[in-house]
Amino acid sequence: MGLRVLWIISHEGGENASIRFSRRFPTVEHRARSLSGSSYVAVPEDSLILQPLLTELGISSSNKSYVAQRDDCIYRPRSPALELRLDGEKTLWPVLNISQGSLILACLPLVDVPSETRPPLSSLLSVSQGLTLLAGLQTFLLGSGGKPYGDGLISRLEMLPSALLQVCPLGTPLDVPLVGVPTTPAVPIPAGTQKQPAWKTGLHRGRAMVNVAVTETVRSMQYGNQSRQDLWDVYGTVTCKCEVEGVLPNVTVTLSLPPNGSPLQDILVHPCVTSLDSSILTSSSVDNLDGSAFSGPYKFPFSPPLEPFRLCSYTSQVPVPPILGLYQLKEEDNQLRLTASLKLHETVKNNFEYCEAHLPLFNRNQMGGADVKVSFGQVDVSKEKNLLVWALGQKFPKSREVSLEAKINFSGQSPGPCDPLCTGLTAYIKLHFKVPDMTLSGCSVDQHSVQVYSSSKPRIATSRELLCKEYYIWNSTGAAPVSGAQMTT
Amino acid sequence: MAENWYGRMRRFSGGPTRFLSETNVEVFLTELLRELRDDRATFNLKVLLLSPLCEYPDLLCSSDSVGQETALDLMSVFAQCPRKSTQFRSHLLVALTCVLICTSCVRSRSHVALDFLDLLFQVAQDVSDVHNDDTSRSLRATACDCLQEMETCCPGLLSQRLELLSGLRQQETSRLHQVYAGLQTVVLKNAVYQLTQEPGAGAEHLKCLLGGNTSFAWEVDQDAFQTDSKDSAMLSSLIQGSMGMMPTLHTGPDCKELRSVLSSLLEESYLFTPLCQAALLHRLTEVVAMVPGIPPTIFRAQLLRLLGTSEVCLFHATLLMKCAFTDSLFSAEDETFLLKRLLVLSQHPLLSIPEKLFYMDCILHFPENRPISCSDSDEALPVLLTPQLASTLLPTVFNDSATMLARLHLQSLVYLEEGVEESRGLVYLYDHLTSMLNIVESGGSREIVVTFFRAAFLFLLYFSQVHSYCLDLSEQLCRLYLRHTRLAPHLINLANQTQERLPECTWAIGLLRGLQKGITKALLGQLSLQDLSWHLKVLTRVAEEREICQHCSLGFLSSVITTSPLGVGGDWRLGNSFLAVCRRVLLHPTLDSLLIPLADILQHLACYYGDADIQDHARLYYTLLTTVSQEKLAMMLAQEAADNGPQVKKRTLSSLMAENEGLTGALTVHQTETAVLCLTLVSSEGPGESGQLHEKETEDVTDVLEAYRSQFGEPGFMPDVTLKYQLVHKQDQDPRFEQLFNIRLHFVLTDDHYEQLQDINVPCVFKGRPPPVVQLRLKPRQPYPTTLRVSAIFTTQDGFSWHTPLPDVHVAFQQSFLPVPTPPSWSGEARLQLFERLWEEISSETGDCAVSLFCCQLQEAELNVLVGKHFCPFLVSHPANEDEFRVLFFLPPQSHLLLKVRSEVDAVHFSIASDSWQLLPLINSYLLTVTSSQEDTTS
Repeated sequence: MGLRVLWIISHEGGENASIRFSRRFPTVEHRARSLSGSSYVAVPEDSLILQPLLTELGISSSNKSYVAQRDDCIYRPRSPALELRLDGEKTLWPVLNISQGSLILACLPLVDVPSETRPPLSSLLSVSQGLTLLAGLQTFLLGSGGKPYGDGLISRLEMLPSALLQVCPLGTPLDVPLVGVPTTPAVPIPAGTQKQPAWKTGLHRGRAMVNVAVTETVRSMQYGNQSRQDLWDVYGTVTCKCEVEGVLPNVTVTLSLPPNGSPLQDILVHPCVTSLDSSILTSSSVDNLDGSAFSGPYKFPFSPPLEPFRLCSYTSQVPVPPILGLYQLKEEDNQLRLTASLKLHETVKNNFEYCEAHLPLFNRNQMGGADVKVSFGQVDVSKEKNLLVWALGQKFPKSREVSLEAKINFSGQSPGPCDPLCTGLTAYIKLHFKVPDMTLSGCSVDQHSVQVYSSSKPRIATSRELLCKEYYIWNSTGAAPVSGAQMTT
Repeated sequence: MAENWYGRMRRFSGGPTRFLSETNVEVFLTELLRELRDDRATFNLKVLLLSPLCEYPDLLCSSDSVGQETALDLMSVFAQCPRKSTQFRSHLLVALTCVLICTSCVRSRSHVALDFLDLLFQVAQDVSDVHNDDTSRSLRATACDCLQEMETCCPGLLSQRLELLSGLRQQETSRLHQVYAGLQTVVLKNAVYQLTQEPGAGAEHLKCLLGGNTSFAWEVDQDAFQTDSKDSAMLSSLIQGSMGMMPTLHTGPDCKELRSVLSSLLEESYLFTPLCQAALLHRLTEVVAMVPGIPPTIFRAQLLRLLGTSEVCLFHATLLMKCAFTDSLFSAEDETFLLKRLLVLSQHPLLSIPEKLFYMDCILHFPENRPISCSDSDEALPVLLTPQLASTLLPTVFNDSATMLARLHLQSLVYLEEGVEESRGLVYLYDHLTSMLNIVESGGSREIVVTFFRAAFLFLLYFSQVHSYCLDLSEQLCRLYLRHTRLAPHLINLANQTQERLPECTWAIGLLRGLQKGITKALLGQLSLQDLSWHLKVLTRVAEEREICQHCSLGFLSSVITTSPLGVGGDWRLGNSFLAVCRRVLLHPTLDSLLIPLADILQHLACYYGDADIQDHARLYYTLLTTVSQEKLAMMLAQEAADNGPQVKKRTLSSLMAENEGLTGALTVHQTETAVLCLTLVSSEGPGESGQLHEKETEDVTDVLEAYRSQFGEPGFMPDVTLKYQLVHKQDQDPRFEQLFNIRLHFVLTDDHYEQLQDINVPCVFKGRPPPVVQLRLKPRQPYPTTLRVSAIFTTQDGFSWHTPLPDVHVAFQQSFLPVPTPPSWSGEARLQLFERLWEEISSETGDCAVSLFCCQLQEAELNVLVGKHFCPFLVSHPANEDEFRVLFFLPPQSHLLLKVRSEVDAVHFSIASDSWQLLPLINSYLLTVTSSQEDTTS
């Protein structure tokens, strides 16, 4: 176990790459040398690592359309562990990497399984440890929002040596760096008989408060085509912020479903959950739905950390998508005729925070004239972007159905935006909406079901909301790309 | 000064070896350590100064002794450092650990390492500041981290302290109990492993080990340190899949003590961070696997929590546990559950892409309870994975490239097992491939293009036997090419790779035939220059295939050059592309039937093409085609011709023919695989002329120092250091390198202590004849040791040119010594006078000057031998005067080293004076070397 080296690299589309930070762990390197004997490959100096790494990531020499080393069609599993080709036939493996925007984080775990051939990644615990550390560093450097520019990054990079002294002083990752200081005052824990969790930096003092939020996200692919099944799925997360006194306070949150609600599946829990009932874990999205499956209540006893955290996540199979759409395009007389209709399902609360439909028409000349009629809402035509934005506001009309008709010609002189996924009649409507105070699965946390074993009476708040992501309605008269038997991306 | 250090540290981290080559490592280290002791430097700077020691200890400490000295220095810095600067003290502990481990001081159990261990234990047990703020605890934590690293790198080091560690962990209630637990677990695992290696060790030994009765353990411990191979085995993970042989300790069912330690660690594991928890579980898995007396069910209570976790490292640790214990801990139901979990995790929307890819890899190496195949590295699908289950991982065009390819790979394995006939899955995969092709066709980015070709290759690799799909793919690719000719290199690459990987499969030929057909039927009027040059690249590749008829290729060429305006334009590159196709056709087995069209094309190019070079080549090809028989032509053009001995003429001719292949062979300088030659130092035959003491009359020199110094202003007066080397063959060489001609030696400095060296020419080196001697004239800028990179270019008998690296030439410090360059007319007396004057001046000045004293134990006779052997050319006092020797070294360009050597009662004293204090460490190590070698030879 252990990491030999850690790199943080920034680049601009593969150009101007530079190593912003690197840390070698010579004692792990020392072990690597004795473990691999004659096949030992030393970690090269920083200046020699950039080019092989960018080549392997496929982002070097971005001005050349074909580079044999970079673009060879031979399949090698490239991620999450790259094999870097160094000078003189030598290779460095397994280089783990995480990229976000213009930042690449990479590390090289120790291979401590003797094997004549290359051992599988799954036999090396340091691989999952490396991935965890890299993800933690990424959050530390960029925040969970992930904006890789500006002074924030520079000051974070400056803090990195002291952060690493805490979480990975000698190459063995012990923890991930703390992202922010807890907002509530935390006092050091006085000596006592109860052992303090290593993931808790202090104690909360003051009024007890528990905040539980359920957020569900729905995704969908609708084709409006008899021969192709529409797809949709829902996943939810339960995030908590708990301010409770005590070294190891007990809190229990219970998720419940309405009668006949379909069971929560694929439940994953935060490591602070103390115990789990096996029935909670049995339901899986890869199984066929089983009527007799356990459907709650789902109890999660835990001892909370000081910072907000994701208590659990789940998926759910709901019988219908919240909004059903139909989209049809016809090319006639140098014009494109669009008809679109959207129908809000009756079980969905007709109360949005926002709801918008985007209709991009790419890979054509810029729009000339656009004649748009809608039964409801407003349409904003962006001629430069070849995009119609249909804003539906907070509510659908009583009928819960809206429609749009448009005739558009693309008589502009200059070409509009490009996107190979949206060409000719292969086109889509993309929905963006958010519905407060509801979930599709019906999953909820009752304020009274939250149990806190604490001396003072806690203030408890619960909330829920529905979001959408990757919600596509494809043109039924064109060929939509193949997208799997399930909503899996 | 501080600014200077920040800059130096930046340059160091930018390229440590380069940085160190431009300076003197020992001097740099000395300066670094001095700055660390300097009270004026801020702790921020000091932390920065420690980074070279924390990251590159082996570069800075080239030997164990340097490591020990450095560690001693650092420990004294630690002792003097105020308690409140916790950060710096923590960094110091880390630096010390790195230095001691990497210089093997820990393994050899040097005193410094043992002292440091004591220090670490002191710090780790220092609970006096338990009520202080959180930061002071981190020093204790760091000390434990350091102990853990020492134990990990030198397994067994702390075996006898197990009870102490266990006590520390149990008492601790702050967050620190985690680091104690981590440390205890590593030590426990190593100790148990050592017992397994002891014949006859059993329950009693284990009990003693845990109970602190260390007499048993200690003996084991000592033995374990003797062997290196054991050491390296202990560094590796013990959980290695079904093939791993697990060492076991037979204790019988009675190991209550171990069981209670394990239970208490497991109970507390919930309190650890996920990363530490995973490491702990992994180590305990190893321990339980080694001790059959403990049932794996000891983990049972933790399992549910672990199976539901969202943390990748905890789930991974659970999988490794399954790998170790199989059905003794995991039922068949558990196995099914785990596999389904992996499928869910491999595509979970909330996980990051690298995590999902890792889980997918885990599916391909799923630790089955009853594995059918025994291979431990080959990818094999678990039996439980049905196509229906796997369908959750179907690739889609919305995936990122890596995910898409990994899924395609996995699905291919699934459907391959299922049998491809009437497979719905295969239909899906092919549809997916077509979808991607459509995206490429509508102008996908470079990344999508590359991904598509990789996907196509994967598909062919697994399903090349399903002809209907492959045929269709080939047609689609041809269509795609005609719309996007820039994809030519991708298509050629795909054809090459499928041919290489699937030698039985004729798919690539079909593709190339299709491309040829598409190209030759294209309308010439719409052809752009770009398209044409890609077409010619493809046709060149097509012409390599013996089975493809070349008539239509030639027809196309002919119509392009005769009818299209592009054909005679005179573009040299395009002309070469035409010729490339022709050259390939010249080699084609059906050349006889192609004679007339090819001759027409060549003649046309020779007469009408707008570039003289292309015309010339075309004319040559035409001549060869029309006058030489096909067999001879093939022999001339065959690339292998040059490989069979010195056939210079034949190669030259074919070079003319094919400028891309043969000619480059003759014109390029080849690289030898290993060094062919090396330079060996010719031992000097005593001192040079100027070293002799001349008993001449002293000229009337009023001020020797001034007169001596005035020489340095004279033009042309700059003594250089001349070193003689023999140029010899290295052992066991390829016979073609036995006779080398026209050797040109090139020297590259690795630092800036010397002026750039001139190249040296040597006419020839023959094996078996006396080797030539070359003289290296070094002009120092600083009298430091250095290393020269040497390379040579030479010609072999067959006319090839070669480039070869030579082993580095190391110039030692003492090789730069010269006798003091006084005017030849000076007598010994004047030199002695010069010595005295220099000594006075150095003793009185501060600046760069320094005086020092070196002592060692030598008998008088030994001393005389030493002086005769090493100092003779530099002696300025009379050799008969054996009370005190005065030695004056001149170190070009203008440094001096003065020695007064005198035997005292207890030891021989070497009083040292130098006008350059930076040289002191070098002088010191030089004296150490010469005096110790003296001791060795006389004892």
